[in-house]
Amino acid sequence: MKSNKELQIAYVLAIILLVVGVLSYSAFSAKTPDQPVRLMFKCVAGKVLFDHKTHTAESGYSISCSDCHHNLEEGETKPQACGECHEAKSQDEDMPNRSDAFHSQCIDCHKEGGAGPEKCASCHVM
Amino acid sequence: MVDNNRFIVSHAPFRHDGSRISTRNYNIALAALPAILLGIIYYGMPAVGVISLSISSAIIWEFIFCRATKSSITIGDGNAAIIGMILGMLLPATAPWWFVIIGTFVAVIIGKQIYGGIGANPFNPVVVAIAVLMISWKDIFDFNEALINYDFDFAMVYPLSALKHFGVSAVDSFSMGDLLMGKQSGGIGSTFGLGLIAGGIYLIIRGIIRWEIAFSFLAGIFITALLFNMTDSARYAGPVIHLFAGYTLIGAFFLATEDSSSPVNFIPMLIYGAGTGFLTVLIRNIGVYVDGVIFAILIMNLVNPLLDKIRPKAIGRVA
Ligand code: HEC
Ligand code: HEC
Ligand code: HEC
Ligand code: HEC
Repeated sequence: MKSNKELQIAYVLAIILLVVGVLSYSAFSAKTPDQPVRLMFKCVAGKVLFDHKTHTAESGYSISCSDCHHNLEEGETKPQACGECHEAKSQDEDMPNRSDAFHSQCIDCHKEGGAGPEKCASCHVM
Repeated sequence: MVDNNRFIVSHAPFRHDGSRISTRNYNIALAALPAILLGIIYYGMPAVGVISLSISSAIIWEFIFCRATKSSITIGDGNAAIIGMILGMLLPATAPWWFVIIGTFVAVIIGKQIYGGIGANPFNPVVVAIAVLMISWKDIFDFNEALINYDFDFAMVYPLSALKHFGVSAVDSFSMGDLLMGKQSGGIGSTFGLGLIAGGIYLIIRGIIRWEIAFSFLAGIFITALLFNMTDSARYAGPVIHLFAGYTLIGAFFLATEDSSSPVNFIPMLIYGAGTGFLTVLIRNIGVYVDGVIFAILIMNLVNPLLDKIRPKAIGRVA
């Protein structure tokens, strides 16, 4: 095989793959699922990976939606994000701020169930 | 010049046996195919997008560089395509398009062309690019975060980051069979262990990569991981996870073995491979980075010229 043939292969490859690449980027933009699979919380204390699917799935820990989304109406499946009510710095005495809401909900249940992380470093990753 | 059939050297006329750089690179592409295909099966069109864009943009960068420097167009040798392909294999399927294009720019232009092109690069171009990307955009390389919306029938926590952050007990659930079959989170083409091993063996048989490097790299990882594990098995995982998770296997067969940045003699190859393996586990176990393969290869690329000084003495004397 001579160089000009090789060159042709390279040109053809570059053009075809460029088209395929551009098409797959534009046509198949990643869509987020209706119900989160996993969530990554980011804050000053590092990242927290939360496996939403495993916590809810029956094959997982099968916790019902309203145990966490505590304002959820019966049958509703599109809850609001916690942060919409629990602000980062809450003025209200009865209203826990965002990180307290997370901490008390997540850690309390883990403590009660005797399963799941309670120590800081087993949730937070710097 | 490469198209000449005849070269007059010192005494006899020699014939070119017809072997070409492009043939080597086509073979490398073939060897990588199983691993890439499984990545595409798992991650779908986004993975196709990353790999395609990575290969094509690498070729285009080299083309632009050759044009700009008014030198002959070298993209026919397939090296740029291979650089793009391997780079794409290391990326998460969700890598944005600009990220891929910056990656191939760093690999082809900064990693290879400015040193004089193929064969003149002191570092593996792909590894240089990944190192730059990893340091600059940490979050895109955080496989846990990047692949957050993918849902499979296996645990999608990145094994090495689970190991680093949550300790040995967090990786108990990964079995060797699952890791080999690609049932783990990671780069598009770097998780299918069996496919990578098959590709590597093919390349070794074809004489395209050196078994000495691949083998000593894996042996270095195995022994170092085992030693760590024996000193404190509660803190340091055994060799299985180190051998079959992260970039280990793609590193052994597609990264560490890159021609111009690795040694050529027997003893130096063994030192190079074993050193890379040793550093990899060192970085994973006590360094700050989740995976050490990339930085270990860079460091060993750096000492490569030194290793190449260990060589047989020439017979006789030069006057
Ligand atoms: C273990 C606790 C827990 C359970 C059980 C749970 N969720 Fe969630 N869910 C969360 C948390 C925490 C978030 C993140 C909220 C945020 O980002 O502020 C979330 C987010 C969501 C979101 C995205 C909300 C948004 O706009 O960001 C949806 C939709 C959702 N959950 C649906 C469900 C459904 C349906 C169920 C029941 C099958 C369920 N969840 C069960 C904890 C839980
Ligand atoms: C629609 C607004 C709203 C949303 C959305 C919301 N909360 Fe609350 N939450 C409240 C209010 C109001 C209170 C205080 C009154 C009460 O105890 O019900 C509260 C109280 C709490 C408490 C303390 C409960 C107790 O018994 O002391 C926790 C923990 C909590 N929320 C966690 C969460 C988490 C986690 C989420 C997201 C999955 C969330 N909340 C979403 C409004 C909200
Ligand atoms: C209603 C109970 C409940 C709540 C609320 C809850 N968890 Fe859990 N969590 C569990 C259980 C049960 C396990 C299972 C532990 C096991 O089997 O080892 C678990 C395990 C985990 C684990 C380790 C295993 C895994 O699946 O990754 C993490 C991390 C975790 N939870 C994070 C969170 C976070 C973050 C929150 C708050 C947003 C939260 N959990 C809220 C019940 C809960
Ligand atoms: C069950 C998992 C879990 C455990 C255990 C846990 N955290 Fe958190 N932490 C979270 C989550 C979820 C958030 C919310 C992140 C966000 O704001 O998006 C958070 C937020 C925070 C924040 C940020 C607060 C802010 O205002 O931004 C700090 C600081 C923090 N945690 C410290 C700690 C410390 C210290 C401990 C140990 C005592 C701890 N956490 C244990 C899950 C956990």
